[in-house]
Parts: sequence; structure tokens; C-alpha cells
Amino acid sequence: MITLYDYELSGNCYKLRLLMSMLGVDWKTVPVDFYPGREHKSDWFLRINPLGQLPVIDDDGLILRDAQAILVYLASKYDAAGTWYPRDNPALLGEVSQWLAFADGITATASAARLHDALFYDFDVEAARTGAHRLFRILDEHLWFGEQEGRDWICSASHPTIADIACFPYIMLSEEGGISRQDYPAIRRWCDRVKRIKGFTVMSGVFPAGPAKAA
Amino acid sequence: MLDLAKSRWHPIAAAHDLPLRHVFHGQLLGREFAVWRADDGYVNIWENRCLHRGVRLSIGINDGRELKCQYHGWRYSNRTAGCTYIPAHPADAPARTITNRTFAAIERYGLVWSAEEPQGEVPEVAGLAEGRLLALRGIPVNAPADVVAARLKGYRFQPSGRIDGSAAKVAVEAASTFSVVLRSSEADATTLAVFFVQPVDSNRSVIRGVLDGQVEGAARLAVLRHHNELLSRLRLAVEAEAAREPAPAPLEPVIERVSPELAEMPEESKHGRKATIRVEVARKWLAADGIAGFELRPIKGLLPTFQPGAHIDVHLPNGLIRQYSITNGPGESDSYVIGVKLERDSKGGSTCLHETVREGDVLAISEPRNNFPLRRDSVKTIFIAGGIGITPLLAMAQALNNQNLVHELHYFAQNEAQLAFPEKTSTLGASLKPHLGLSPDQTGAKLREILSGYGPDKHVYLCGPGPMLEAARHIAAEMGWPETAVHFEYFKNTNVIDDSTSFEVALARSCMTLTVPAGKTILEVMRDAGIDMPSSCEQGACGTCLATVIEGEPDHQDVYLNDAERKSGTKIMTCVSRAKSARLVLDL
Repeated sequence: MITLYDYELSGNCYKLRLLMSMLGVDWKTVPVDFYPGREHKSDWFLRINPLGQLPVIDDDGLILRDAQAILVYLASKYDAAGTWYPRDNPALLGEVSQWLAFADGITATASAARLHDALFYDFDVEAARTGAHRLFRILDEHLWFGEQEGRDWICSASHPTIADIACFPYIMLSEEGGISRQDYPAIRRWCDRVKRIKGFTVMSGVFPAGPAKAA
Repeated sequence: MLDLAKSRWHPIAAAHDLPLRHVFHGQLLGREFAVWRADDGYVNIWENRCLHRGVRLSIGINDGRELKCQYHGWRYSNRTAGCTYIPAHPADAPARTITNRTFAAIERYGLVWSAEEPQGEVPEVAGLAEGRLLALRGIPVNAPADVVAARLKGYRFQPSGRIDGSAAKVAVEAASTFSVVLRSSEADATTLAVFFVQPVDSNRSVIRGVLDGQVEGAARLAVLRHHNELLSRLRLAVEAEAAREPAPAPLEPVIERVSPELAEMPEESKHGRKATIRVEVARKWLAADGIAGFELRPIKGLLPTFQPGAHIDVHLPNGLIRQYSITNGPGESDSYVIGVKLERDSKGGSTCLHETVREGDVLAISEPRNNFPLRRDSVKTIFIAGGIGITPLLAMAQALNNQNLVHELHYFAQNEAQLAFPEKTSTLGASLKPHLGLSPDQTGAKLREILSGYGPDKHVYLCGPGPMLEAARHIAAEMGWPETAVHFEYFKNTNVIDDSTSFEVALARSCMTLTVPAGKTILEVMRDAGIDMPSSCEQGACGTCLATVIEGEPDHQDVYLNDAERKSGTKIMTCVSRAKSARLVLDL
């Protein structure tokens, strides 16, 4: 049984809840009071993750930190079809890794702006917002041309990968950091598609989409 | 300076920005829009604000027929933006008049155009042929529209047929504050490019470019990328230029207060049987054996929002007024579809519609009125239709089907040929259960089967011939269904009306006392005294002329009220019912 050290309002923890829900994996949750309790900096948690960051999982004794690393592990271990993290397709695997790094950039900007606005972190919020808009422009252009080429997802596969899951939460929560997505219509349409993946689940601030039109 | 003319058309989206089941977040001159395409193709441009709590509708759910707000689930209809459902009041039909603000929408040149108060037509561009053009990716720019348009005059690009060249000559063919027309030519290749600059806000714009001529396949992508790259480069330069100027203050659109009659439950309407809407019979067809279908389209404007269960009065050429239920599913708002069964031995309403009224004829109808409201908080809803009684229940079943709420539609008819509107019933899938050719006894047995297993929060809706309704109501009562869970609508009142009594009616609010003589109805006497009371069927079946009784004992002769409502003595149908006491006091 997987144990997730979890904070409900964390987009990085939400990534793992999303993928586990889509994979149909069971898990149990250990809530960590990130705010205002700062429990992720407490002695007991630092023993689990010396970086003092969420999320962490414990899968039968294997302890892993870092949301993107855990996505790789979960998809490799629990996705029998092997589509979420396509280990046998080097080109696609390269793309996935490239966009996982991009997701870290989204965390460093859009998530930082949200921490500033919602949890009163002392960050340079204007720099964070500017950085997020720069990334969103790049992703919107990428997704728009993807649509023109008949591609629905971030990587060039006919199915979603963990790159979509890694990018989704802090894009979807960006308005809580004062970053509008109005100028990114292709990102907004991609968000609808992610929400329609079987097993999709919501968190505070993320609303569901309605069903797609039956073919 | 930015031209703030509200009358000028601007593009606000590309057609490809509006896939089905999506809500686009638009903005023009500071005013935000929720933009969505319904499954029937209609493009809705609405104020981006739920009338309830002001939440943005651009994060709402487009279910193909209606837009649902994420906050408290208010639903608004395709086309009219009329509210069709308020979950906090599941037993009530929202007032038909609760309506969000809509804006004009026209699709042209691969773009969607709007304006706050448009005048004239969307501008025609010489050289751009509908269907033979390529819409570029819209480029949002953080700069004022006039600055962007000025910069676009210097835009240099290759013609689509020579995308790899580098020697194209580009000429400005026309330019204005919000558009630039350029022609690029190299050797034998030439391309016309029209750029419209959408003023999003005082310091924000979107460049929406359209090229003449179609390009296919890989060449198409190359052309799209060519312009995307060049326009992105132009954007960086314009934004750098704009950043040197002090940013103008954002525009503050006036969110108009919705007029009280649009925002609140309406007062009891003051008019009698008025037919305020003119419709054309767009289509008349045989919807089933003996049943004619009529599709009624408005002569101008939009039809009012309807709720499932609503009916309209149809004023017929022979002077008769008849009530017909609207059969439409949610969001089917471009016309009303009614079904009319031919009843040869009646007074001639159905005969007139079957034999006299033809396609293209104009009819006068009333606004829709709903005295048969549908609860949507039921754990299971059972509809029981007999013959033409299918019509209101068909609208209800489609509404529940669209919301994935549990329901069954039991449809009793003599044979398959008498099942009406197969194109609508077929969308209901397994929830449609036809029962064909049953004798009265067999019908009774089937009703017992259907009505067995009452549980809390189940509701049943009945519509059909009188004897079948009587039987179904009796069986429901026997099987433990409380009256509050049994909803019914009769076609007509077959009671023999006894109007031999004479009594006094006091109207408490109007401070008026009237005498109702034998041979006249309360409704007629009130109208004679200048009280304009709404009514529809005027035979005690539809529920429109309901009044509240404050004092006195009513003599009920209608078929609208259920037994509990009758016993309570607090309601009366003023078109047929009278008084057992010498005096009635009504809350009118």
C-alpha cells in the first residue's frame, strides 16, 4: 500500500493524487500541515525528506521525494499498459523528461506567485508572474500547433503522459497567484481534455469539466 | 487613442477557439465574455458573470445545450441565456425572465465577431472569400490596439506560395485604427493578409490575421509557423515599445444592473389571454399516426426561455385558443415543437391545426407558462404518458437525461405507429419504455408494476387521458405514494360544471367586493371589474388562473388541484370553481 504524505492545497501533491486516481491505484494519506503548521519543516518530517518538501511517498518501505520523480516511479510500476511513461520509446521518453523539467519551471513561477498571494510567502511576485506568462506563452503555442497537427497532448503521442499531469495543477491554479489564462486559449482547451481523462479528480480550486460530446 | 465606439464590430475569437463543450474566455474593450458553441452550432456570447453570485461563466460547464455555473449550478439556455434551473429551488421553475446579458455573434472569415451595440454589418473585406482563407493563430499582445495596428503596417512576410523565399515585396493596401491589409508578392506568388487588432483592454490586444487562399497539408503548417514566428517577433518589439510608455488605466466596463423584472420572480402578470409572440410554422409533419408535429419559429428575435413542462396558448385562425406543451429538450431554443392529436369530435381546435394550418402560416402564441414544474432533486423520477400525454413528459425526460438524473419514461399507446416524436424519444436510450396495445385491465396491472416500490424522494409525473390518470392516481395512492410525490396534468376538465350558485368575492389586496351571479365565473366577473387576471385553458385544467383563498369555502370543480390542495381550502381555480360559502376572500 502506498502512503502519500499529503497537503490538500499543494499542486505537487495533487499531481500524485491525480495519477494514482487515473491508474486506479489505492493509497492512504498522511496529512502534513504545510500551512500554517509548517509541519514539513518539523523534525519528524525532515527525517523522511531532509529537503523539507512535499510530496513524499512510502511504497512498502521505498521512500521517494519530488513530485516529478514520483510520477516516473508510479507510472513505471503501476501502469500496465505503459503509456503514461513510455519506457520503450526513447524519443517520447526524451519529450516527457523535457516537459517534466518545464513543469518544474511552472512550479518555480506560477506556484511561487500563488504561495505569495495565498500563503503570504515573501517572494518577488511580479518576477514570478512574468516568468509564468513567459512559460504559458511557450506552452500555448506548442499546444496550438499540436491541435493543428491533430495532437491533443503535450508530448507527441495519441495518449496523455505524465508530462500532462506534471504541468496541469499549477497551470490550473495559476489564477490564485494572479496569473490569468485568458491569453492562452489552447492551454484552456487542453485543460478541458485533461479533466476528461478517466479517473480525473478535483482539488480545492480545480473544477470539473462536463462530458465531451459523444461521437 | 483607443476608439471606444460600442457600435463597431471586432473579432473576439477564432472559430477554432470554440470547439464543442468548451467555454472560451473572451474580452473586448475591458468587458469580459463567456463564449460557447452549443451542439447545434449556435455561438453564444454572454456577460461573463453568473446573475446569482457574479462568478465567471467562462469556468462553467458547456453541456452542449446549456451553460452551468460552477458555483451553485444555475443553468442558462442556449441562445436566450434564460435561466432554466436553480438547484437550490429544485421544486420550482425559475422565472422565465431571469436572463443573462447576451451580445451579438457573427462568424465570418474564420473569426467570431461581436460588439456591445453593433451598428451595420461586419466589415466586408475585398479579396477575402468565405471558405477560401486561412485564419492564423491569434497573438495576444500587451500593448494598445492602435500601437499594434501602426506597427503591423511594417509587417513583412512571404506569400504562401513562396514561404522559403526572402525577396517578397509587401505593400499596404489599406489601414485603419484596428486593421491593416497587406499584400506580399514574390515572382508569381501573391498573398493578401488582413490583420484585425482586437482591443481587449486599454493596454492589451490580440492580432487576428487571415490570409486569402487555402493551403493544405504540410504547406499549411509551414505558412502558419511562418506567420507565428514573425508575429511573435513583432509582438516583442511592440511590447518593448509599449513598456516605455506609462500603462494606461484598464478600461472599466459598466456591468449593467439587470432590470428587476429580469432578476426576480415576476409579479403576477396583469394580462389575460394575450398572444404576444408571432411565430411561423416552419415545419409540419406527421409525428405519429393521428398526431401532427409543428415546429414554430419566431418571426423576429428569440423565443422566450421555457422550462420542461411548460405550455403555450396557440391562438387559432378560427378564434379558438388551445394549450400545447413544448416538447423541446434543453437548449433547443430556436423554435418550439408541439404535438397535436386530431380529435374529430371536439370543438375544432385540433381539426383546424391538422387541416387548415400549413407550413409558412403565421400563428399568434402566448409566452410559455409552466404550471407543471419538474423537480430535479428526486432520487428517481417516473414519467407515465398516455398517448399525446407524452408531450410535456418528453421535455422533462430530455432535461433529466441531459443532467444524467435517474428516470424512466413509460409510454402507453395502442401500437408502435402511435408513438410520437421518435427522433426525440430515441435519444433517451433505455429509459424509454413503451407499453403497446394494453387493455384497461392490462394497463392497470402494468401501472401497479411501475408504481410498486415507492421510496422517499421518488416522484412520478402523469399525463394522459382522464380515465388513465384517475387509475394511475388511485394506484399510486394505494401503493403508498404521498400526494406530494404525484404530479399530474390533465388534457381537459371533463367535470360537468355547476355554475348555478351565486356568491360574493372579496379581493383583499384590491379592496373590492364583487358579486358572482349564476352563469358567470369568478374570472369573468373580475375581468368585468377591470382586474386583469392571467388565464389559459379556462376550463380548470392548466393551473394558470390559480388564486389563494384567505377565507371562505371553495367549491372545487377543476382537475388541476390534488386532493390535499383541495382539502386545505387555500387555493382556487377562478375559471371554473365557485364558493360553497356565501363569501370568499381572495388574496388578489
